[in-house]
Amino acid sequence: MSGMIELQRASLRYGDILGLSPTTFSLPDGGGITGLLGPNGAGKSTLIQVLAGLLPPSGGEVRIFGEVPFRNPAVLGRIGLVPEGDRFPSGISALRWLRMMAQLSGLSGRGMDEALDRALRTVGMETRAHLAFSSMSKGMRQRIRLSQALLHQPGLLILDEPFNGLDPEARLELMAMLRGLARDGVRVLVSSHILGEVAQLTDRILLLFRGRLLAEGSVAEIRELLDRHPVELRVNADSGQAVARWAVEHGELVALRLENGGAVLSVRNPRSFLPKLQDAVVRGELPLRSLDPLDLNLDAVFQYLTTDHQ
Amino acid sequence: MPIYAPTLPPRAALNAGQPAWLVLARFDVRRILRQKLGRFFGFVFVFILAIRMGVLYVNHLLDTKAQLASVKDLAKEFLAQGASFQADCLPPWLLTVLWFQVAVVGGGLVARDTLHRVRPLMYAHPLRPLDYLGAKGLVAAGLPFLIQLPFVLLPWTASLLIAGLHGPIWPTAPLRLIPAALLISALMGAVTLGASSMASTPRAGFGWVLGIVLGSAALGGMVAGILGNPAWLAFSPGVLVTAWPELLCGVQAPKLGWVPALLGTGGHIAFWLWISARRTRPSEAVI
Repeated sequence: MSGMIELQRASLRYGDILGLSPTTFSLPDGGGITGLLGPNGAGKSTLIQVLAGLLPPSGGEVRIFGEVPFRNPAVLGRIGLVPEGDRFPSGISALRWLRMMAQLSGLSGRGMDEALDRALRTVGMETRAHLAFSSMSKGMRQRIRLSQALLHQPGLLILDEPFNGLDPEARLELMAMLRGLARDGVRVLVSSHILGEVAQLTDRILLLFRGRLLAEGSVAEIRELLDRHPVELRVNADSGQAVARWAVEHGELVALRLENGGAVLSVRNPRSFLPKLQDAVVRGELPLRSLDPLDLNLDAVFQYLTTDHQ
Repeated sequence: MPIYAPTLPPRAALNAGQPAWLVLARFDVRRILRQKLGRFFGFVFVFILAIRMGVLYVNHLLDTKAQLASVKDLAKEFLAQGASFQADCLPPWLLTVLWFQVAVVGGGLVARDTLHRVRPLMYAHPLRPLDYLGAKGLVAAGLPFLIQLPFVLLPWTASLLIAGLHGPIWPTAPLRLIPAALLISALMGAVTLGASSMASTPRAGFGWVLGIVLGSAALGGMVAGILGNPAWLAFSPGVLVTAWPELLCGVQAPKLGWVPALLGTGGHIAFWLWISARRTRPSEAVI
């Protein structure tokens, strides 16, 4: 096996309960963002605990940086974990807590001071880290949580539901931070049950449902897997009837719905249909004003896939 | 030579700092020292120590000053010499106060991490479960030991300075009392660590410690009463900690014999450490 993350039929059981079905996937070396998607109870946190070396798999094999992560300091020293939740030790400053975390990573002396400075600058908290957790906003605490994971400059950064409870501005800032880290060569794995925010962030997703990995790839790739689910396209045109007529003649239509100012086409294979549509518009056969894919987003993908596995 | 992403500086050398258990233990000690509660118990223990030193000095005066001969016999009844006097350097009421102190401080050692869910974060670092348990155990047992130490060493030093080798405290007393303090500390540490690891909040940890100490004392007392055998009192950590100074100083009629004291102490330490080890495994550190 090679790559930064390699799972080969890795599974995890909590007694009789199957937390993670045998799962196989790999993520390559180098920077990038991968979204780990699924509703609550899908097995995201379980998978994260396996990847972060907190739990050994009950079956199969897990390798991070080519090694088994469970209780392996060589691997743990290269992983940064930002767990879910917003609870911190009371009565101490963030800086004191970060120092302890840095020391646990094996940093000391000048190297630790530089690491603290760098991590706090990355998250924009360099002037506010002396504050107690109790006097910080949720967004500030999330930044501190992220900075503790960056102290030892991990190659793999795992975030469990990092956007929970953040206001829109803080979300955008966090997204920008994560994109920056990915550009700098860090592999970022973000779990979320909110599909829209991951769709804004990620170039690759892993879709989990009831402890099973349902799909892996980009949103478009996953959508391609769904041959039996048609893509809905809203074609805005001067004449809906003209669009419908053309579509019936040339398209692989599953359904058609006329609307004011256009038509909604359900198409089996958009990859072959869309070039035909484009040619027709260029030739002037279709009075097209705009084209909106209605369900080519993560919500639709997620809904289709999970409905199939109910 | 490693290749780094262009905008990232080289990684600092890891594994260059202190051992993980020491980092955690220092963090907990500093937190405890900053607590107001620590100042309260500090005052209580200094007050008790001052009384002990006063008793020692009065004792010396009674033995050496002819003017005090008239009150000497009366005082002897209160200030008994010999093995009991040595064992009384760690008296039961001091150990009771100490139980409260370790319940307050030790009860939160693991529970606080559970409450704030920081254990997954810690285990996501190169920290072994043994490091975590070792750090918490060091604090849980080290604190009562450090508190007991002045109660052994200060009266002993004062006795040597005031009256030389023939003072009220035996010259060999630390050789008996320091092992007693170590055993007491290990027992208190193990019980508080076990209690704290079962609790989800520091307050619950405090309750667990008191529940274990008082509950086992009641159970041990009942069984001992029903069976007519005081050895069953060894079920109680509270009785065990008071038994060790007596046993090691050679008091004539100790509360417990050597065998029940050894079995009770060993059993409690092993059981509560087992509980702590199970409850602080990475798999228990649920994200």
